[in-house]
Amino acid sequence: MVEVSPLWAVVAVAALATVASFAAALDGALVGRAAGHSALTGARTPVVELARLLRQRRRGTVAADVLLWRIGTGGLVVVALLMLAVVPLGRWTLADLSVGIVWFNTMDVLVWALVWLAGWGPNSFHALAGGYRFLAQALAYELPLMFALTAPAVGAGSLRVADVVLAQQDLWFGVWMPVAFAVYCLSVVGFSVWGPLAPAVGADLAGGVLVEVSGVDRLLVLAGRYALLTAGAAFAVPLFLGGGAGPLLPAWTWVLVKTVVLVAALVAVRRRVPSLRPDRFVEVGWLVLLPAVLAQVLVVSIVVVTG
Amino acid sequence: MGLSSLLARWGVAGAHVLVVESPGSWLTRATVERALERRGWRTALSPADADLLVVCGQPGDRLAEIVEQTWDLLPGPRTRVQVEHAEHVEPMLDAARAGLLDEQGQRQDAARRPLAPPRLEEGTQAESADDGDMGGMVGDDMDDMDDMDMSGPAGIALAGGESDRDGLEMDVLHVPLGPVLPHWPPGLVLWCTLQGDVLTAAEVDVLASSAPAPRGSAGPQVARRLDAAVDLLALAGWQAAAGEVRALRDGLLVNGPDPGPDGAAPIQQVHDKVARSRTLRWALRGLGHLDGPTDGPTDGPPDSATDGSAVPAGLAGDVYDRLLALLSAAGDALDRAPEVDRTPVLRLLPELVVGLDVAAARLVVASLGPWQLAALPVAAGGGRG
Repeated sequence: MVEVSPLWAVVAVAALATVASFAAALDGALVGRAAGHSALTGARTPVVELARLLRQRRRGTVAADVLLWRIGTGGLVVVALLMLAVVPLGRWTLADLSVGIVWFNTMDVLVWALVWLAGWGPNSFHALAGGYRFLAQALAYELPLMFALTAPAVGAGSLRVADVVLAQQDLWFGVWMPVAFAVYCLSVVGFSVWGPLAPAVGADLAGGVLVEVSGVDRLLVLAGRYALLTAGAAFAVPLFLGGGAGPLLPAWTWVLVKTVVLVAALVAVRRRVPSLRPDRFVEVGWLVLLPAVLAQVLVVSIVVVTG
Repeated sequence: MGLSSLLARWGVAGAHVLVVESPGSWLTRATVERALERRGWRTALSPADADLLVVCGQPGDRLAEIVEQTWDLLPGPRTRVQVEHAEHVEPMLDAARAGLLDEQGQRQDAARRPLAPPRLEEGTQAESADDGDMGGMVGDDMDDMDDMDMSGPAGIALAGGESDRDGLEMDVLHVPLGPVLPHWPPGLVLWCTLQGDVLTAAEVDVLASSAPAPRGSAGPQVARRLDAAVDLLALAGWQAAAGEVRALRDGLLVNGPDPGPDGAAPIQQVHDKVARSRTLRWALRGLGHLDGPTDGPTDGPPDSATDGSAVPAGLAGDVYDRLLALLSAAGDALDRAPEVDRTPVLRLLPELVVGLDVAAARLVVASLGPWQLAALPVAAGGGRG
């Protein structure tokens, strides 16, 4: 694994923006087709929304906590980029940290603070209730996510992402750790405030965390959600899907292809499943997901020790 | 043509629209929603997300005042139109589009308005503590201010404390839900006392229209019930199903009910699909239980809200039962059930929602639809205006 110059971060930003835009276009196409338009018309949604929000004024509220509000709304994109820093693109990586998996975990915990701050900032009941909803949901998915990240680390005997990729030369971790992979994907949906795990921005709270956000701030939050979805999917590739392994194409292409396919799957889920209300999802998180993923880690440990 | 007019033309292609419905104007609102969908526009969930404010029907004085306050909350560029008849929708939306593209006018509008809301001076009449919140736009909520400390930021009253349901001290907030709230009964205001997001008390109020609904504005009952189901499914976060039911509703409104023997088949299909979802059942089961009119008052669960005699037919059971009833009644009794005035239900509402969190309370309110509200009778009490 080659650690490249930090200047290559520009390429990472471009790749993230491209795949996230693809995700937004795909979502727009699905929504557009459901509304009776052509998929192509719907796919223009990100461009239209970009133009609309760039033109819209940013609106304040009475006694808003502006600094914390801006940190919350602007931080999601930054966190997604920092997650991407430890994802190897074929042979190259921006940061070959010895604790890359822990780094990713730290970044996803930062999302707790950011979403809550975005809800706290505007001094609005619906926004704050949305922020607290996200915390309740995060309590349900975070521990299962931590153990889901532990499983590949145990399997590879290392917290370095490059080592995890090397350990999957024969068999992808996603294949023989299906529970960990499934829990990981669910958690990506969770920290991206997406689909069934989006009650924090739900219609019943008039948009929740998003209720008072307008203009470029709204653009940053919406882009941040797609960026998190993309970064989460990209990190699944070295962790569960064999990194750049694949026939014919060069390794970096395979990383991109796998990321795009997983993002598309996560986008497609959005409209199909009803919301999981946080108070009920906590039960699932602690009584089903956590025991299941602990059992997964146990199985992995036994295989590693005996094999 | 500069960059700004290019942005304007692109942006307006996907305008977000906040729709306010005055009681009795649901057909107009449904027509607006259909027109928006055809144009590729979206409905906004809150004023901050909206470029365009569409008022359906003729709001009474109190609702009109709140519409004005809502208008102030649109960030801009912004336009507003009032649509009183379904046939006026298209020309009105065309005019709104032109208004959004009128850069000169938008610039003048922006110059007239400050970017941040004015700071409230200490000692002046603070609006309710959640000003800027879309539910908090009714500015005359002074009844509960006596016991509040007004020294908070920007002269906003600080929340008082009180013991919560576990006996721990917790802040008490007074937040009105409605009347400008998506998927909410038109004209209804629920004055909530909240600890966290749990309702500890609630009072109902109705902001009526200034004119009675014109003749023929009731529309087909099947479509009306499907419309109520759309609200409930959207609140439950199941957008695909909500979209399907809305398409069925629009089909009925445009083409009329299919007279053939299979006229109800598509509705039955959606009913079956919704009934198959375990996630939905798991989310809605047990919420807002009401005893049916024929059940004895003794055999209901202890938390059932009230004696069964006051519960209108079709509302018995929990939120999940009522959702399926909305879809199946639509299926098998094409247009024979009479219009039900929901005003009596308001009396049950506070007891039903107290103790629930906002999400659950919203689901309960939506499940009692289709909402048809006349002005609040004095007996129901709780009105503040």
